[in-house]
Amino acid sequence: MIFLRRQLPLLITMITGLLFAGQYYVPHPSSELLLTSATKWLQIIGGFALVLGITSLFHQHAVKIRRQEAGWGYSLVLYAGMLVTLAAGALAKGKESLDGAMTGFGWVYSFMLVPLQGTMFAILAFFIASAAYRSFRARSREAAVLLVAAVIVMMGRVPLGEYLIPLSGDVSQWILNVLNASVRRAILIGVSLGAIALSFKIIFGVERSYLGGGKE
Amino acid sequence: MDCRHPRWAAAGFCFLVFVISVGRVFAQSALTAPSDLQVIDTPNDGGESLTVLWAPGPSDNPDARYEVLFGAASATDPAALKAIAEFPANTRYVKDAKTAWWTRKAEGTWHQYVIRNGKGVEMKNGTAYTVTVAMRKGEGRAVGPLLQATPSPNWFNWNQFNNLILALGFGGLVFYTISHAKRNNIFLRRIPGLDAVDEAIGRATELGKPILYLTGAHDMGDPSTIAAAVILGRVAKRTAAYETELMVPHREPITMAVCQEITKQAYLEAGKPDLFKEDSNFFITSDQFSYTAAVDGIMLRKKPAANFFMGSYFAESLLLTETGASTGAIQIAGTDSDHQLPFFVTTCDYTLIGEELYAASAYLSKEPIQIGTLRGQDIGKAVILSVILIGTVLATVGVATGGSWPQLFLDFFKDLK
Amino acid sequence: MTLSERMLKIDRRIIFLVIGLCTLLPLLYPVGLPIKISPEVRSIYEYIESLPERSVFLLSIDFDPASKPELHPQAIALLRHAFRKNLRVVAMTLWVSGTGMADQLLTQVAQEMGKEDGKDYVFLGWSSGGTAVIISMGQDLYKAFPSDYGGKATKGIPVLEGVQSLKDVAYAISLGAGNPGVEAWYVFGKDKYKFELGGGCTGVIAPGLYPLLRSGQINGLIGGLRGAAEYESLVGQKGRAVAGMDAQSATHFAIIVLVAICNLFYFSLRQQQGRSRQS
Repeated sequence: MIFLRRQLPLLITMITGLLFAGQYYVPHPSSELLLTSATKWLQIIGGFALVLGITSLFHQHAVKIRRQEAGWGYSLVLYAGMLVTLAAGALAKGKESLDGAMTGFGWVYSFMLVPLQGTMFAILAFFIASAAYRSFRARSREAAVLLVAAVIVMMGRVPLGEYLIPLSGDVSQWILNVLNASVRRAILIGVSLGAIALSFKIIFGVERSYLGGGKE
Repeated sequence: MDCRHPRWAAAGFCFLVFVISVGRVFAQSALTAPSDLQVIDTPNDGGESLTVLWAPGPSDNPDARYEVLFGAASATDPAALKAIAEFPANTRYVKDAKTAWWTRKAEGTWHQYVIRNGKGVEMKNGTAYTVTVAMRKGEGRAVGPLLQATPSPNWFNWNQFNNLILALGFGGLVFYTISHAKRNNIFLRRIPGLDAVDEAIGRATELGKPILYLTGAHDMGDPSTIAAAVILGRVAKRTAAYETELMVPHREPITMAVCQEITKQAYLEAGKPDLFKEDSNFFITSDQFSYTAAVDGIMLRKKPAANFFMGSYFAESLLLTETGASTGAIQIAGTDSDHQLPFFVTTCDYTLIGEELYAASAYLSKEPIQIGTLRGQDIGKAVILSVILIGTVLATVGVATGGSWPQLFLDFFKDLK
Repeated sequence: MTLSERMLKIDRRIIFLVIGLCTLLPLLYPVGLPIKISPEVRSIYEYIESLPERSVFLLSIDFDPASKPELHPQAIALLRHAFRKNLRVVAMTLWVSGTGMADQLLTQVAQEMGKEDGKDYVFLGWSSGGTAVIISMGQDLYKAFPSDYGGKATKGIPVLEGVQSLKDVAYAISLGAGNPGVEAWYVFGKDKYKFELGGGCTGVIAPGLYPLLRSGQINGLIGGLRGAAEYESLVGQKGRAVAGMDAQSATHFAIIVLVAICNLFYFSLRQQQGRSRQS
């Protein structure tokens, strides 16, 4: 049992990890074929993961409805929404429109999903303003520098700012292209080194937390 | 010489000089076929490509043009070949090609043209083809010798040799520092955000409110999610010890399954297996804003005293943290999503930036493997800094002196394929 | 509670109201200020201008309805430009929730420009796998998408004549709102299959893509609504993005004023606290 839970996954990880790390350096067509096959497998397994997620969702809310826990009505709404959308999608064969006419699935997509997602994203504008009002205070020298840079970029990125102070456009371009790019590059290098180190540890079985459980 | 007719003699002499000069001019501008012509299988590729190399010629100027001729192996006459490319004679040098100096097949001043499939060319691996290069100027044309070559795929791309050396070098360094950490004590800088973890969990326990822990938007293949899962293990151990409720809503089913195991193990190690709840880790949905709406609802209804945002996040970050801030919870974030950092920094009490998230798992666990990895990463960063410094100096020296030798060092750190 | 303390703890809903008005009023009463074109947007425009007719242009619409306000105008402007240049447009998406919106958008612009499905453009739809799809397209486009979104077999479609894989694409642009997006297209697409790549993204992600732009990994970047407005101005067909710039101007200024007010009261409060400590 230990072999199936521990040794075998570690062995598979090591072999496939080394194989695909090596694949990057091999230009031979058989290497490219290996990559293509692997990506097809990834697409298939991705589909299975979706089933796992939906099953978990169904189970969790079924328990909530059965026990009539607080908010079980919303679980019922979730069930109804899921089943109606599934049925509409199945009837319309996954298409939002057929022969120019909008299907039921298309109606759900255009009049429910699109406006709801747009609404959630639009909330960001208001939250940014309230977060900025609460936190953009020049508490220290560094905070003051951040504040000034933020104001310059906010002005330089809109026509009104460039109209009132033409220099703000050029300064904000410089901040984005020079200061921002170099700092982002530094963070990217640090994060990438971390990712490479973690990948090496996972491939060679040093890091096993992704398997779940503690040390053995 | 008969000097009885000096005028005629002078005219004859001038005419002779004129003829010789004109002859010289014509001789100079007489076209020369490309010399030292070579046709080889393009190295370091997947096949179906040939490379043509030839030495620079005396007529290499913008007025003249080189023409690459290609055909079947059986062709013996240039007329049977097809012109597949034409370019000015002062272009297409080996030094302009984006390949490493250690894989060049000729001097930088030589001409190079790579024939690939497409645009009238169709090559198959293992089949020979005839290639030559002609020089054209005006109506004149000088054709080089017809040469045969066979394209074939290669098993290793030597242009990426530097990449392999650097990757293996870094990997070796990490394993060395891990073994060093197992034998010695390595100092780790205090990260304020992590000290606050205990404080946050203690606060939640005092208030009798739950703790909310999010693992981010990515799946278990992402280093940030793995780091978040590792930190969850430590947080779960503390919540088990303090008997505080822990809620971990997920966006990815596989992450949920892994975190469930991690939480179960943490409760076991804390000696409180009976307190473990299967549904402490639960899946909501993969959709970004549906998940955000659900978590916001949980925050507003359950009012957790502490919110942990660990992993990768996108636009939902501010929606989550601002809602959490409105409930008065203490918020600790850790992300490598640099585009969301401004939002986390302004709305959370503590933020772990970039690889501080990866360092967090080392700091909490005090495991030699984690600490050793951190040390290896730090040394890697020091190496990169040094290379940038030395490279800048060398590149400047190269430009100032006009020398190409700094390229030997600089190319080793370039991404060349 | 002093005035400073009250102002610093002001109800968030007042701020929301101010932002709401600053967004709504300029949309109702537009001003129309000139828009300066940035080099990163211009370079995408000029590259498309330089493409010969019937070149293959791949547009990956990698966003969902949530990012529609910023990226939809970018997509429309790019498609109008591509159709005007008579390029062969191959559109697709890596985000399943954006499929319907991408299909609607492409159909709408194609109809407006008098283009024919199958002959001038094709919408491949969505395929599961994210970055795996890019790799698959790099090997064999027809294996990655055996049929288009309408169910027609992709092999034999006139618009895909001579296109076997991503290596045959003249220019690709990914309009990304996250992952998979522009970075994924570079790492798994351009880096392996060597086509030219441009990027479009939301305003939040744009600063993070400047390192890719500066190093030449992408040849241009259309960032957020501002980038879309610039591109609309270049193409000569002003749309929603240009209209939205007035609202964005007003909102930015509102935030600047709010931050200035907040700092004013913050320093005033610090002064008061300093004075009360001294006394």
